[in-house]
Amino acid sequence: MLISCNKLKTHIKNSEDIDWLSIWDKFTIRTAEVEGIYQKGKDLKDVVVAEIVECENHPKKEKYHILKVNNGKKIVDILCGAPNVRVGLKTALVNVSGMVSGITIEEKKIAGVVSQGMLCSELELGIGNDHSGIIELPDNAVVGTNIKDYLPIEDIIVEIDNKSLTNRPDLWGHYGIAREIAAITKHELLPLEIEEVKNDKKDLDIKITDNNLCSRYCGLTIDNISNNKTPFEIKIFLYYTGMRSISLIVDLTNYLMLELGQPMHAFDSRIVKKIEVSKGKDNTLFTTLDNETRKINNENLMIKNNNEYFAIAGVMGGLDSEIKEDTTSIFLESATFDATSIRKTATSLGLRTEASARYEKSLDPNMTDIAIKRYLKLLKDYNEDLEVSSNLTDIYPNPLNPITVKLYKTTLYKYLGFNIDSSKVIEILESLSFKVEEQKDYFNVLVPTFRATKDISLEADLIEEIARLYGYEKFKVEPLKLDLTFKSLDNSYDEIYKLKRHLATKFNLHEVHSYLWYKTNFLNKYNIIKENTYLLGKKKDNILRDDLNLSLLEIANENASNYDKFGIFEVGTIINQNENIEKLSVLLVDNINNIEKIYMHAKNIVSNIFKTFKNIKVQFKNSKSQEYYNKEYCLGIIVNKQELGQIKIFQNKISPKKKVVVVIELDINMYLNLDKMITTYSEISKFQNVNLDYTIILDNEEKYCTIENVLSSFRNKLIKNYQLIDIYTQEKETRYTIRVTLSSFDRTLNQEDLQNFKTEFISYIKEKGLSIVE
Amino acid sequence: MKEKLKKIVADAIKEVNSALKEADVLNVKSKFLGKKSELSLLMKDIKNMSVEDKKIYGPLFNKIKTDLELKINEKLEEIQSKIDIHLDETLPTDEEIGSLHPISIVAKDVTDILKRMGFTIVNGPEMEKEYYNFEALNIPKTHPARDMQDTYWLSNNDLLRTHTSPNQVRAMQKFNAPLRICAPGRCFRNEDMDHSHETTFFQLEGMVIDKNVSISNLIYVMEGMLKEIFKSDVKVRLRPGFFPFVEPGFELDCSCLICGGKGCSTCKNSGWIELCPCGMIHPNVLKESNIDPEIYSGFAFGLGLTRLAMMKYKISDIRILNSGDLRKLSEFNIE
Repeated sequence: MLISCNKLKTHIKNSEDIDWLSIWDKFTIRTAEVEGIYQKGKDLKDVVVAEIVECENHPKKEKYHILKVNNGKKIVDILCGAPNVRVGLKTALVNVSGMVSGITIEEKKIAGVVSQGMLCSELELGIGNDHSGIIELPDNAVVGTNIKDYLPIEDIIVEIDNKSLTNRPDLWGHYGIAREIAAITKHELLPLEIEEVKNDKKDLDIKITDNNLCSRYCGLTIDNISNNKTPFEIKIFLYYTGMRSISLIVDLTNYLMLELGQPMHAFDSRIVKKIEVSKGKDNTLFTTLDNETRKINNENLMIKNNNEYFAIAGVMGGLDSEIKEDTTSIFLESATFDATSIRKTATSLGLRTEASARYEKSLDPNMTDIAIKRYLKLLKDYNEDLEVSSNLTDIYPNPLNPITVKLYKTTLYKYLGFNIDSSKVIEILESLSFKVEEQKDYFNVLVPTFRATKDISLEADLIEEIARLYGYEKFKVEPLKLDLTFKSLDNSYDEIYKLKRHLATKFNLHEVHSYLWYKTNFLNKYNIIKENTYLLGKKKDNILRDDLNLSLLEIANENASNYDKFGIFEVGTIINQNENIEKLSVLLVDNINNIEKIYMHAKNIVSNIFKTFKNIKVQFKNSKSQEYYNKEYCLGIIVNKQELGQIKIFQNKISPKKKVVVVIELDINMYLNLDKMITTYSEISKFQNVNLDYTIILDNEEKYCTIENVLSSFRNKLIKNYQLIDIYTQEKETRYTIRVTLSSFDRTLNQEDLQNFKTEFISYIKEKGLSIVE
Repeated sequence: MKEKLKKIVADAIKEVNSALKEADVLNVKSKFLGKKSELSLLMKDIKNMSVEDKKIYGPLFNKIKTDLELKINEKLEEIQSKIDIHLDETLPTDEEIGSLHPISIVAKDVTDILKRMGFTIVNGPEMEKEYYNFEALNIPKTHPARDMQDTYWLSNNDLLRTHTSPNQVRAMQKFNAPLRICAPGRCFRNEDMDHSHETTFFQLEGMVIDKNVSISNLIYVMEGMLKEIFKSDVKVRLRPGFFPFVEPGFELDCSCLICGGKGCSTCKNSGWIELCPCGMIHPNVLKESNIDPEIYSGFAFGLGLTRLAMMKYKISDIRILNSGDLRKLSEFNIE
């Protein structure tokens, strides 16, 4: 929102004591965020009120005139291309070596004429959009006056972040901002000048059908408005604050909205008969002021005139309600509509206006009549002969009264962290127009209605007012006291971090983050069909993922063109209908030729993780997974007979070209819930171990687990452990060299012991159908 | 005799010095000190010598023998220590290492700091109930934040959490007061993406509840945390901010680290970066979770981890973080 400091100054007593450039830093930390400060009129120098005294057509150049212009000191020659030049016109002249729009004007020979300056349009002066001709000043303007002394061109315009005002309906007008500035700088806020209405005429026909959506509606008719021309000071103010000037009648409604924050509407009273505020009917077509036809629904609050739709309440008027050029009498509306209803209507129509933006904030219904009286006062300033032709008709079924909040001193001190003088509390609250009565233990605070619509209702709300105006920068900082309550043993965050760090440092894997939903294009490309909980209101990328590995595959595919081999991982959420599940996914990408190596690497990573963090030896067992994984090579990761995850391979057709993608998937909660195994001390034999190496031969179709199963079923008390130390693959068979370690606690093993073991072992292996090299 | 010995010694030393390989030295050894060496043969003559000569030559032979042995051993050691070492100490090191996501690194830094202040780390689900995300946080049914354009609503009537604040409610209802928790996590907003807007981003929620917790405590914790995070004398300011679940509510700004507070494009020329909405927990929020606001008070904050990571690593485009592009992400290493 744009705020004019010139306007603020009119509301504050002794405002010249305030530094209007630096005050905004304070405003930001006391009230709301300032986004920009713009100094107007700085690029204008030596521009004066001047009068055209002679006017001749240029002999050769069509549309150009050669003028003699009185600048207050002398008559100068000016060449001008504007169409509205005429003798007697008072306008703005940039003298030679003066400046306009930041450009210095020099004496210049144009089309054979020496021009000693330049006449300006509103646009060139920076005070309006009009560039159709030079500015036309009133006849009573004194020639030679500096234009900046004649028009309020110099101003400081401040941009305040709208988002920081969402909870402050009172700050959506200059008067509210002035109240804050006055409180911050300890100045006095001046009351608004208004024109009272006698109410000795007839009431207008106004009816509110839905009290919930319109808490107050005020109307007044005014006749005999002969001057509908907006004076420059209001025009410039509107332009600086982002509004377009149309006519005095319309401009004053906007002026009031910018001043008080109360949106108003002026209708031509020749049309207005009977006003009704009620909800619209579905699928009604309605043409608004901007000449757009819009479809109304039965949630939209409408203003009806004589049973015809007339305006969308709080959003925009209808085309028929427009003020015409010959309008001399008006029906003035000043109403309060329900914030949520207006927001929904504006959103559903895609039509957010200055009015709707204000209504959305929950405006104070107690300012509607003040706005009308203020409007009347301003209109009268420019139309002495106007006539009020109706009562100020006020439909206000449930008046909003100020509320009282008890602010206990103990609560205040507790929140602040220090004790504050009662006089300071009272000074601050009163500067913001609260009324305060001090009691022994508390303050009785009367909250004005412009702060009570949604902003302030509790003690904590008042504490905020006191704290912010006291100044957060003056708070002394206070460390937290030691709290020895022992809350939780939950250290899952740290455990996950350790796991991630291990994957990155020991296995050189890279952590990535991916989205919680599948990309539709990705699923389509690979013909993967997913059904799961989905995002409403979106047609693409809307299905939540139930497989983290697929999210990572998409990332892997994109990286595959940059890297030959790499590994990525993520710890992330997947969604299974109504359930959040935390998963670890690791993808190892390598050339297809290295498939065996990389698959083993995945197994090693899993074993290593469990050994490192849980001191557990995991088992692997064939398992099953979705159809887009290779069916044959899916291994379950088993601890305590529970499957905690899988190692698997994405099918070739969805993997990057000539590459293999091996996946490790782990359920994080199951992993976190596993207790660490404690290895208890076991004594080591004092006698030497003996290692015996055997070679067992398998057909190439068979797998190593055949040997392992046989070995693990062999019982002999001398055996300490087995270890696979070599694999040698030939055309049809593979030779596995197994090292058997023997030991005894009571003696050194002798030849006889060893011979007995050999015989027993070899015959057992053979008995189980395996061939062994003797 | 003496002349002979002198020559033998001289020859031996010369040959030892010129030897290059271990074998050469061993040859010299056997040639001059071996059983059939000239020296050994001469030594055999000692027994035929006169008593006086024996007294002279006995020790002399011994000395020559020890000296030569010493000399030869020194040479052997010298050659052995040199053997087969061809080292290029200027070769580059193998620096291959994986990487953690910048968010993980930053989250770890911040949680470590908070742990030192006694905070416990908790977490909550990304797919969340309306109750935890809005209702229990004093966000009324009519609040604009609940609209479709801001919140991802789901087909099962749940939503994707729009902030980490549901963790406040979950923690209060699980642990009750007093309480000191923080919760890093991923949040979602239905936004159009550009270089500074993401649908998916990280926050860190913090919450303290105890008897007599004050705004002064809040400022202490916030300042302490940010000074530790940035390891520099960052300036901090509080200004009023509105969030339904706190009252009073603040926006916490820190001086812009890019321009040092002078004003630049990152801080929109203000010199300040909005970093951390915070405030005293709203009495309604405490009540909803069965904590008596007459007895307890507290504060909460939501630190933008994504923004913090972007500031720390000077990342200009937020979309890099979820791109999965290793050319960029692998640069951030582990710490």
